[in-house]
Amino acid sequence: MSARKSYVVETLRRAQLIELLSKGKRLDGRALDQTRKIEIQTGLIEKANGSAMVSLGNTQVIAGVKVDKGTPFPDTPDKGLLVVGAEVLPLAASYVEAGPPDESAIELARVVDRGVRESEMIDLGTLVIKEGKFVYAVFVDVNILNVDGNLFDATSYAVVSALLTAQMPRFVLEGDAVKNTGERVPVPVSKVPVSLTMASISNSLIIDPTAEEEAVMDARITLTTDDEGHICAGQKGEAGSLTTGQILTAAEWAVAKGKEIRTVIKGATGRA
Amino acid sequence: MPEIVRKQVIPGELIVSGDYRPGSFVERRGNDLIALRIGLAEIIRSDVKVIPLSGSYLPRVEDQVVGKVVNTTGYGWEIDINSCFLGYLPAQFVFGRDFSPGTHDLNSRFRVGDMLLAKIEACDRTRDPQLSIRGPGLGKIPRGELVRISPTKVPRLIGKKGYMIKMIGNLTHCDIRVGQNGLVVLAGPPEGLVKAVSAVELIEQEAHMADLTQKVERFLSGGTAGVESAGNTGDSGGPSTSPSPEPSPGPGPSSNAPSGE
Amino acid sequence: MVEEKRKLIDENGLRTDGRRWDELRPIKIEVGILHNADGSAYIEWGKNKIVGAVYGPKEMHPKHMLLAERAVLKCRYHMAPFSVDERKNPAPSRREIEISKVIREAIQPALILEDYPRTAIQIYVEVLQSDGGSRVAGITAAALALADAGINMRDLVVGCAVGKVDGKIVLDLNDTEDKEGSGDMPFAFMPNLNAVTLLQLDGLFTPDEFKQALEMAEGGARKVYELQKDALMRKYFAGSTLETTAEEVGE
Repeated sequence: MSARKSYVVETLRRAQLIELLSKGKRLDGRALDQTRKIEIQTGLIEKANGSAMVSLGNTQVIAGVKVDKGTPFPDTPDKGLLVVGAEVLPLAASYVEAGPPDESAIELARVVDRGVRESEMIDLGTLVIKEGKFVYAVFVDVNILNVDGNLFDATSYAVVSALLTAQMPRFVLEGDAVKNTGERVPVPVSKVPVSLTMASISNSLIIDPTAEEEAVMDARITLTTDDEGHICAGQKGEAGSLTTGQILTAAEWAVAKGKEIRTVIKGATGRA
Repeated sequence: MPEIVRKQVIPGELIVSGDYRPGSFVERRGNDLIALRIGLAEIIRSDVKVIPLSGSYLPRVEDQVVGKVVNTTGYGWEIDINSCFLGYLPAQFVFGRDFSPGTHDLNSRFRVGDMLLAKIEACDRTRDPQLSIRGPGLGKIPRGELVRISPTKVPRLIGKKGYMIKMIGNLTHCDIRVGQNGLVVLAGPPEGLVKAVSAVELIEQEAHMADLTQKVERFLSGGTAGVESAGNTGDSGGPSTSPSPEPSPGPGPSSNAPSGE
Repeated sequence: MVEEKRKLIDENGLRTDGRRWDELRPIKIEVGILHNADGSAYIEWGKNKIVGAVYGPKEMHPKHMLLAERAVLKCRYHMAPFSVDERKNPAPSRREIEISKVIREAIQPALILEDYPRTAIQIYVEVLQSDGGSRVAGITAAALALADAGINMRDLVVGCAVGKVDGKIVLDLNDTEDKEGSGDMPFAFMPNLNAVTLLQLDGLFTPDEFKQALEMAEGGARKVYELQKDALMRKYFAGSTLETTAEEVGE
């Protein structure tokens, strides 16, 4: 069940929110183009190859990276595997039920995955042990601990931060078998993709919506940019619509804010 | 004035032993009186009770609550009162005894999403609490912003004889209605509103600190110059807050007081 | 086939992580760490990192399963895919389902469910990193989450495991000792009521060893109870006096 449909929005609340928006303000005092405080902690799960806990306001997520050997997909024998999963834990909000991921959770995982994959943050071509037979398999699993809107960006920052600080085992080919040399090497990362999620509410566009803002939003757009300022992934969500003007503003913000947030992520992961 | 002995307690902890009467959230085990919640244990004469510091709202008769209409059934409205139990407002209480689904449209009075200030009329272990809106100031709340706090912090938000809630209202020019169930509705000019909401959240976080009242006063006084001069923001109908310790709205002379619809 | 087992206790009496036979691993506890949950607690116990969370009392779904005279208690113990050495599939395993049941039954005796008829109380134990003894650590965190949520409780519940390693009964097994040792006994009880609510065992214990293990587990659990109390005091009473607490509750 997605956040939007889980509770009836008070008509009072919606009216207040829209009134504030028309004056360029939000319920928590932020400007329309302001994100909440981003906090990133890495290396908390020693058993994982990499990990990161991210808070975006009250939204809190934790990502863990596990790297092992695997078999490549038949149609890409010369590429390693990258699998991004996300689970909104039932403890994250009262309306979340335990069970297999619903369409919102699946969309979340796939959008974040595309942001990482399309930016070529990891060159999967360098993760081959024996072409067609053995490759490195990089699993990134995200658990959402507390929902307060904008799971897309929080999840994305956690995945990126975990990968930036991950150390993986080094595998070599010994005859026909794969051997773990016992060494640890950093996961080969070359870029820092940054996603930015915006919501449109009654013709106003805002960055980093809270759960309350998401409950009344008409549409949502997530855009991911890379270090050169290219837009490498995008997703519009929810049942409303956006004007081209809004989309262009969104793109401007994604590049500009993306740059600021990239600095934050790099600082937190020791890549400054 | 009887002496009150106080103790900070957690569940399972011994409060006192001896010939005492167990009150709320206290259990007698043999000679011992045991706390069942985290809170403040109080021994007054021979009565022992615990006032809890945590916990969701459990409806009590006579409580004033802020609720949200979440559904209409054939014969009334289902109201979310921030409790595990859904409140129910019978249509008859609003339309009168001659109500019938054929002749009266529930939506003409309250729709899904509307906020009400209501009273718990009846509740027991076998059914959901029944609400009424008979009483001064009860009924639909026409405008405002909703904030949720822990119900255990409501006494602190209201303050001794309403001191705290009155202060916030005066310094922010906001109208504030507090439900015992932890739902608070604030209405007023945008700058004042944002400050009032922050004040409520501050109180919830620091309810246990000694200098809270001064802290809130300092926070609200700094930078309210803009609010004081905003004489044109008349949409909330003027500053009015609850003048009594009970969380009833104090409809000021020019506010849109909800009548008992 | 006889496996050469390595020594888990060295000639100085030190275990694989440097502890003595009766030492607990370092434990840190924080109460109230999640914003949305009605109650929550986070525990680091050795390398275990576990979140306990509670929602409730809340409306019971499906309605036909509610009970007229008390709350229905539900519990979900779940391990994150990155919580163990080999990545774990996120779907619930049979082990997690059994542990969910055992945790629920360990906690239920402490809760006064009759005070919440026709409702549900849901406990979550989410293991972010696991290193032996996660179920007793989970129970310890869940009990605090329930108190934090304001559920009426007869007592807290606190757990501790003991085991048999190199023929010796030791306190608080770590993951290596759990996997390579010869006995494991998770234990949990209500400390003021002296009532044991969780006991599981696998391995070979003589009756004397069993008695020794039980006493040691209780002793360990009592030490952890002090840490539970401290965690609650820090969240609810830190920075306050009796007077300010009285004001806080409106007295």
